Amino acid sequence: MTTRQKNPRRSAVAHVDPLGEPFLRTRFALPARPAVFLRRPRLDEHLDQSFGTPLTMVNGSAGAGKTLLVADWAARQRQPVAWFTTEAGDQGCGVFWAYVLEALRAAGVPLPSDIGCPGDASRVDHGLLSRLAHELNGLERPVVLVLDEFDRVTSARIAEQLEFVLHHAGRGLRLVVVTRTEPLLPLHRYRAAGAMTEIRGAELAFTVEEAAALLQLHGLRLPTAAVRALVERTGGWAAGLRLCALAARQSPDPSAYLRDFEAGRSTIADFLLTEVLKRQPVRVQDLLLRVSVVERFSPELVAELTGRGGTEPILAALHSQNAFVEDLGHSWYRLHPLFGEILRAHLRFRSPGLESELHRRAAQWLHASGALPEALAHGAAAGDWNFTTRTLVDDLAIGQLFTGLRANDLAELFSRMGPEATSAAADLVRAARELSRGDVERGLVQLRRAEERLDARPDAATRLSLVLLQSLAARLTGSPGMAEQAVATAERLWGEVPAELLDSHPEFSALLLTHVGSARLWAGRFDDARAALSTVAGCPGGVSTALPREDSLGQLALIDYLNGWLCRAERKAQASLRETERFGLRDPGFPGAGLGQLVLAAVAVDRDELRAAQALLDEAAAASGAPRDPVTAAGRSLATSRLLLSRGEPRAAAAAADLDVPALVDSPWAEVQTALVASAAHLAEGRTESALKVLDDVSSDGEPTWAAELAWARFAAGNQESALDLLDHMRTHRHTGPRAAVQCALVRAGAAQETDVAAARKLLAGALLQARRERLRRPFLEAGPRIRHLLDSPPLQDLAAGWLTPCRPAPPGGPGSAGDGSSLVVEELSGREREVVGRLAELMSTEEIAADLYVSVNTVKTHLKSAYRKLGVNGRAEAVRRARDQGLI
Amino acid sequence: MRYEIRVDGHMSETLTEAFPELDHVKMSGQTVLFGPVVDEAHLYGLLNRCQSLGLRVVEMRQLPE
Repeated sequence: MTTRQKNPRRSAVAHVDPLGEPFLRTRFALPARPAVFLRRPRLDEHLDQSFGTPLTMVNGSAGAGKTLLVADWAARQRQPVAWFTTEAGDQGCGVFWAYVLEALRAAGVPLPSDIGCPGDASRVDHGLLSRLAHELNGLERPVVLVLDEFDRVTSARIAEQLEFVLHHAGRGLRLVVVTRTEPLLPLHRYRAAGAMTEIRGAELAFTVEEAAALLQLHGLRLPTAAVRALVERTGGWAAGLRLCALAARQSPDPSAYLRDFEAGRSTIADFLLTEVLKRQPVRVQDLLLRVSVVERFSPELVAELTGRGGTEPILAALHSQNAFVEDLGHSWYRLHPLFGEILRAHLRFRSPGLESELHRRAAQWLHASGALPEALAHGAAAGDWNFTTRTLVDDLAIGQLFTGLRANDLAELFSRMGPEATSAAADLVRAARELSRGDVERGLVQLRRAEERLDARPDAATRLSLVLLQSLAARLTGSPGMAEQAVATAERLWGEVPAELLDSHPEFSALLLTHVGSARLWAGRFDDARAALSTVAGCPGGVSTALPREDSLGQLALIDYLNGWLCRAERKAQASLRETERFGLRDPGFPGAGLGQLVLAAVAVDRDELRAAQALLDEAAAASGAPRDPVTAAGRSLATSRLLLSRGEPRAAAAAADLDVPALVDSPWAEVQTALVASAAHLAEGRTESALKVLDDVSSDGEPTWAAELAWARFAAGNQESALDLLDHMRTHRHTGPRAAVQCALVRAGAAQETDVAAARKLLAGALLQARRERLRRPFLEAGPRIRHLLDSPPLQDLAAGWLTPCRPAPPGGPGSAGDGSSLVVEELSGREREVVGRLAELMSTEEIAADLYVSVNTVKTHLKSAYRKLGVNGRAEAVRRARDQGLI
Repeated sequence: MRYEIRVDGHMSETLTEAFPELDHVKMSGQTVLFGPVVDEAHLYGLLNRCQSLGLRVVEMRQLPE
């Protein structure tokens, strides 16, 4: 595989910065081993076998000592071990893999930054997993990846993906799964193949000798019989033994205490923990109960929760005793999960009502220290929705409800909000949720309510959030006036919020400009729309702005298409789709979803590639269903109705051209498109009068693109005079594309043919040259027999051969032989297409080519299709032969 | 549906508070938690709760209505 050097990959992708987020960092940290940890050689030796098997599973109940066993073993390996502690909130595949990539990077695994990064919390692109597996497979030494608390990952899809990566990474990845429950991996297969190292509860249980050693570490020397009895009572359970030791050590007569415990019948952990807890100083008890509400804590957060400072020594002492507290490094700690759970039960029992107060305090502290997601989670746990929504709005993070890795988590979090929250911020969040679900009416109601609740002088962040939602509502309701008002207000407000707030939320202005651009596009103000959309398309690539970038590129593609630039439209639409492919995004709820495919479909219709057009329309329907966004809906109706017309289904086309999206103002271009289709449908059914009448109702307003289309339609309906009249009054400007020029030329050629055949042919030659570059075939096919008759002259035949008409069989060796003919025909292959065809010549399969070039199978198929078309062939063998003949490979 | 979950050992009053939706009774070295269970998800949730509190489940069965 030498392609990696040959193909510098896509530019760097911004990824989650583990160092920027203390919480993330603690999840990549090996938990530190406390002083009273007992190393057990038999388990270490068993763990060493994990280098020989792809999968290792350490499986045991809470408090069985799994995490510390693996952490201690991992810390002693010569090579760094990638560690990741999963959390219940990581159910989305996208989040999970984003963190796994970071964990690998944090452990120094050299992953190229262009390997990609999931951009959608709930999805991950298969290509990314393939690339990851490929990278790992190429490593000289295998990387050990530990997934701790894997029982929290309940998603079958993540298990499947993990299995895929593990399988394809070969010897490059050794996965160690630490879990309380049997993971959803196909363990039987690994077992049968001897490809799994397995340490289960029974093996984790302490033997009598080990228990004696552990007790000794705690300063207790007991006769063997007493230790044996203790092991029997606890089942060799690490947490039980450790708590026993602590409780006994604190009692006046440890041996008697343990005898009593052995005879007792209480549940072990709860009983012992209560015992140990009640022997702690009151201050420590209070601390332990209070920190049980947070996942992780630092001395500062503890001070906030307890109302007392100076807790660092207490935490350090608790950790070294290993009773309750685990050290995550950098002054961050967490409670042992088992004890944390029990302590939380104690907290609820002892101080009902304190829990939500503590969540609130944690939320405030976390917000102040810049940990927004955690602050929101605790605010929600406290049930304090006014605070939680306020925090989101103040942070200018409302856009994260629409785009980025956290969108799903936030939607889930705020779905729990009840009607009790009555602040303007709460209404803004409600409006955002309705709008993101596409319910514009309810969204608008909430927006109005939010406006009514605003203070006399609302702060800039609140007003900006309102403006962002208004721009989206404006776009969805086809209200360019409202959108312009929104962007004007936003421009006044930019200066009033801290610059770093805006910098940390690039999605905010990207969303705003996308929506404003869309409203302008709807209103037919293409230049203004392009200005806004290009800004978004040009903004630095990153997960948080991927959706607005995709959306903007799709709209820019539509503008190019409407202006008659097929190749430009195609390129932008493909860039739009690449944006989503790179981040594995598929958000059917996003307003512009599917627009890229729709533009490609329309381009395909103009090129008379009807099957491809249908496939793209199906793809778009799968991507977005019935679009609620006026521009996307218009794009769909345009592509669909044109396809149906081309197929000779005029009635269905007329029906599809009818836009059923309510919009405040009419869209001039959408109206022209509807009229054109209606006219063509009438014409196809022989109603010339009606065909012309429909056209009378719309005006081209001198806009060249539409003037050409309308002139073409009039000409087709037999009204040559008015067609020429339209063209005479048509202005052109630099954005007018080849399609308008081709249509003009065809109309004029049609008019000239009766009087001056030579002039008509000259016009046609010009049209063919322009159309060939774009492979614009439709107008010639629609042009009717008279014009087609004109094409039957040798120079025009040459211009049309190969792309519009089949290649002429050239007389061997004669003038104008295959050599020139084909050089005219064959369009330049792109670099990527050449690479793909080159690999075909090496007899590689599509899948192999995909793996070799680090792209998806679908991308390879697209390249192949396009290469076949350019080479004018139908199959692999023919393509290779043709490419060789042309000296392309 | 109604279920009964038997766990090893006598649970303290504090710990039974972790199962506010269930009644409980202690008998012969075991604690029996019983009461209405909304659906499968709830059932698995209860099992998870047992596990995360370090309880050993000895038996679990559906009760006749």
